Amino acid sequence: MDSVEALVAHVQALSGNPEEVSHLHSLLKQSEDSLRSQASRLFPFLEQLDPSKHSLGYLYLLEAYSSGPLLEEQASGYLLTVVEFIDSCSAEQIRLAPDKFTSVCKSFKDQVMQLEVAIRGVAPLRTAIRKLQTSSEHLTTLHPDFLLLCLLSKCYKAGLSILDDDIFEVDQPRDLFLYCYYGGMINIGLKRFHKALECLHNVVTAPMTSLNAIAVEAFKKYVLVSLIHNGQVPSFPKYTSGTAQRNLKNYTQPYTDLANCYATGKFSELETSIQTNIEKFQADNNLGLVRQVLSSLYKRNIQRLTQTYLTLSLQDIAGAAQLKTPREAEMHVLRMIQDGEIFATINQKDGMVSFHEDPEQYKTCEMIEHIDSSIQRLMALSKKLSSIDEHISCDPAYLTKIGRERQRFDFDDFDSVPHKFLQT
Amino acid sequence: MDLSQLQSALASKSYEKIADICDEVMLQVEAHHFPKVASRGIVFQEEWPYAIHLLGHIYVNDLNSARFLWKSIPQGIKESRPELVAAWKIGQCLWNRDYAGVYGAIRGFEWSPEVIGLVTTFLENYTKKMFQLLTSAYSTITVADVAHFMGMSEDDATNYALQQGWTLDSSSQMLTVSKPKITTEQKLDPSKLQRLTEFVFHLEH
Repeated sequence: MDSVEALVAHVQALSGNPEEVSHLHSLLKQSEDSLRSQASRLFPFLEQLDPSKHSLGYLYLLEAYSSGPLLEEQASGYLLTVVEFIDSCSAEQIRLAPDKFTSVCKSFKDQVMQLEVAIRGVAPLRTAIRKLQTSSEHLTTLHPDFLLLCLLSKCYKAGLSILDDDIFEVDQPRDLFLYCYYGGMINIGLKRFHKALECLHNVVTAPMTSLNAIAVEAFKKYVLVSLIHNGQVPSFPKYTSGTAQRNLKNYTQPYTDLANCYATGKFSELETSIQTNIEKFQADNNLGLVRQVLSSLYKRNIQRLTQTYLTLSLQDIAGAAQLKTPREAEMHVLRMIQDGEIFATINQKDGMVSFHEDPEQYKTCEMIEHIDSSIQRLMALSKKLSSIDEHISCDPAYLTKIGRERQRFDFDDFDSVPHKFLQT
Repeated sequence: MDLSQLQSALASKSYEKIADICDEVMLQVEAHHFPKVASRGIVFQEEWPYAIHLLGHIYVNDLNSARFLWKSIPQGIKESRPELVAAWKIGQCLWNRDYAGVYGAIRGFEWSPEVIGLVTTFLENYTKKMFQLLTSAYSTITVADVAHFMGMSEDDATNYALQQGWTLDSSSQMLTVSKPKITTEQKLDPSKLQRLTEFVFHLEH
């Protein structure tokens, strides 16, 4: 078994080109156990290596070191070393050992959280994700960790840098659940409710064979955000797993009750319904969202009026929306005009409000740009889907399963697989 | 701590870039600030220009980020920096849609030379935005309310409105709003139109 000294010499000698590095990789794999057994004395050796040139070797040493017990007085020196390593390491080399890299980053994240300095981990993990992922469509297991640090350090905006990527490749289902759940929370914090709904919707409707806690918590927030943003909770789409459809509502009764009460449009009743379950909402850390649901009811009631009336007095609006004074109604209408939620003009002389149609005529340059880019995006998505479909149609495991099931039916009930394949 | 980017953004009056610059520098400084002893970066927080950072968010109307930043500032720092508190007062007024309160929050504080340019420009933009809001939301409005929303005396508010083509009924002290015709860019890149035409053709055949 090689000594650490010899190994360090190998790392220094064999980091030049890809062939050398792959040879080095096999050497490193062989010495894994010996590295781990000497974990506590590895730290000084790191100084003999250059994190940008000897990334793979550096990574193995760092990982072995971090797997050992870490003394408190060593912690900050170790963390700084990890930060500098993430900053300067070569993406090519660390991608040869993604598990090692992930493990170093995870232990870094745990340390940062333990020290209650989550903000220190935000920038390093963001860099780590970019270096680890093979394309921006790839969800790494570090994504949820990064978002968690953003939430804990209140750097919500920093989280957007990865949330705006479209994800098509996922390694572990749990990563996707957490990524979408935390992503939903970041979007809620930034009041991007439309995006938050997309994230939470992905959690709730993701395939699952047994119910999990992430989906339950996501569903609670999904109900609240749906009410705030759309005024109603849509029913489950067809592709939702049976497990979710059967069980989610049983675990979220106060939320379902709240949604039913919201539909009546009565402010005082909604308030009472919230009071009855206030402890549950508080325990779920959802009280802030619940309050937003309550205040959105004013808005919803005013919006409903625009569907019926062309003009209405401020007095009547106050009455219909259960607001105390016409002035209060005026301020609500003004606020909604400011946010682009209704189209209306207030006439103070007569105390009237006129409601208008959406003035968008879909003929401006911007709108055409928008339509054009949407079409491009959908075409790209549809291409992606058919290529995945094709890929699955050729998958031996899938074909065997389909073939076995088909024998129970008449041959004519189904297209034969080769025929179906030709169609796509 | 490298604040040169921030300084040059302030100097060139590129105020809209300040929030992003501050966010990024803060994350980088924090990441490289694991001190040998666990003093948890107190030094950094004492030197950080929180007031400018906060005003940067407010300037681009990103009240959510402003609020989260405020929440993450240690209590001791909030208590020792009146300018930071004054900056947050603006944010609070905007958050609560206290339209008139914004003017009071800005005028009620003696801003340092570092931020005065930023605050003044924000105030100009805010006044313009308020006038646009009034223009789109009202057909008639009292002089008193215009003065309230615009943070002006009734005379100044009336003059401002008259200059923009509004008319005054002096007996009722009521202003009639004149809405400017909005002209939007109609020139279109022909290749875009061509492509849209092809899509429709493809769908119909």
